[in-house]
Amino acid sequence: MITCRNLTRRFADFTAVDSLSFEVAPGAICAFLGPNGAGKSTTVKMLTGLLPPTSGTVQVCGLDPAAKPIELKRQIGVLPEDLGLFDDLTVEEHLLLTGAVYGVDRHVTRERADQLLHALSLENGRRTFAASCSHGMRKKTAFAMALLPNPRVLFLDEPFEAIDPVTSKIMREILESVARRGITVFLTSHILSVVEQIATQLIMIGGGRLVWDSPISELPQDLEKHYFEMVETPVVEELEWLGSPRS
Amino acid sequence: MARVAAVLKALARAVARDQKSVESVVGNNFFFVSALLLRQAGTFIYLIIGLVLLFPLSTDPLRKIPASRLALWPLDARDHRLLRVLSPWINPMTWLLAGLALWAGRGKITLGLWALAAGLVAAGFLLSDLPFAPADSLKRSIPRFPGLLNQLIRKNLREILSTLDIYCALLLSLLTLLFRLLGRPLPKEALLALSILVVLALSSYAQCLFGLDGRAGISRYHLLPLRGWQILAAKDAALLAILILLLLPVAWLAGMAAALVALAFGHGPSVQTVRPQMRWRFSTGSSVMLGILQAMSMGAAGAAVFLSSTWFVLPCAVAWLISLWAAGRAFERGAA
Repeated sequence: MITCRNLTRRFADFTAVDSLSFEVAPGAICAFLGPNGAGKSTTVKMLTGLLPPTSGTVQVCGLDPAAKPIELKRQIGVLPEDLGLFDDLTVEEHLLLTGAVYGVDRHVTRERADQLLHALSLENGRRTFAASCSHGMRKKTAFAMALLPNPRVLFLDEPFEAIDPVTSKIMREILESVARRGITVFLTSHILSVVEQIATQLIMIGGGRLVWDSPISELPQDLEKHYFEMVETPVVEELEWLGSPRS
Repeated sequence: MARVAAVLKALARAVARDQKSVESVVGNNFFFVSALLLRQAGTFIYLIIGLVLLFPLSTDPLRKIPASRLALWPLDARDHRLLRVLSPWINPMTWLLAGLALWAGRGKITLGLWALAAGLVAAGFLLSDLPFAPADSLKRSIPRFPGLLNQLIRKNLREILSTLDIYCALLLSLLTLLFRLLGRPLPKEALLALSILVVLALSSYAQCLFGLDGRAGISRYHLLPLRGWQILAAKDAALLAILILLLLPVAWLAGMAAALVALAFGHGPSVQTVRPQMRWRFSTGSSVMLGILQAMSMGAAGAAVFLSSTWFVLPCAVAWLISLWAAGRAFERGAA
């Protein structure tokens, strides 16, 4: 469903993504992991047609995002890094806009919007303008927008951050349910415990390069240990000015 | 005192960065065209224009610190009092007002004019503490439009309602309507001039159509399965819908021709560089030169329709369509 070959993106002298190659099968939940600045968002932008690669090829749903951007956009749902909400639309209006521009019938859009608002506990805030929403509400709205047109691939940039535990659980169940129906989920996250629960495939990058790609069942150790070993080892500095520790 | 000084220093930095107000006055078509047209009227009229346009600067600098943050800082009651007294002096408008008071003292301006200026500044100061935005009910009362762009057009209308340009145009339109309702005869040419002025008030907005969408809004546009021209058409539809209403009391067809020309000039700069705009400020155009060219072309288009033939609307519409298509393509290419 997603195929990258030697995908590279340079910004002047800086190489954000360096010869990345991987494949994600239909119905997989692929977690794309890496530290801040590793090139995750740049890769997602290239996969969704927002950024042309400097070199290499991408195919999503059998389409080249650079050559057929509109056709691709009709087949994918995206929760972008910045959520992509308009301050002057309410939560509900964002969903109605999504239905209209993706060609979903008006009544079907209404039904799906009601279900999503209920499932994500957004019913009380449906008439709230995005500018007045909390970060969690905004994230849930963007998540609902990604799901509403029933896409073939879901790209989710850090979907679980700033989400309350109950909604996080609901979102995980929704993702597992859509994956069982053959929809591919490609997500980035820093919450390794959640990733470990739902992902079927793991891709790790560091400094723009691929450092790991396997089904989650083939991990040699628990995810956190493996991540620290493959990507980045945490170094904790002693802050002596905080005083000496109590015994 | 050191704590208060540190807060004031940070505030001064924040106010200095808020240069949009001054920039918007310089880059706003309505301001510089009015200044050119009214130069015979002398200092008085410049003072009035300046005061009205600088009104958005009259905000309380202390509001730049979120109340929750201010409450968390270890400041005592005396520190808070000092901040309350000293922070207004960070705002250049306070100094301007003090300067005008000196002028009034020497009899260079009347006390009434100084009182008007002081009233404007005080109103801005007090209003900055209120949720100075159109009530939600007004934003929600915007009608629905047919087609898939409905929600985008409604959003764009709400954005326009949060700029000062629209209220400037509304004032001109309402005053003309009142004048005509009172049965006062208006020369034919005055109707043309007024319709151009109404469009002129919104012409700088036409140069920065994406200025209020923010980064997140722009990224959403690029994710939607819409062509660039459709996104621009939703912007134009909102602006033209407002202008149709505002132009009814004046020469509406000449005004619409001018509006199409204003948009034809504005599409390019709108998509080439997204110039972030601030709500409750006048829109800032992309450059003074383009503003002059835009204003002159609008005047020519309006005059041709009003004085020669209504058929001149057609070339204006064609120019608008070409620009819509070309800028739409440019918008799609600038997806990154």
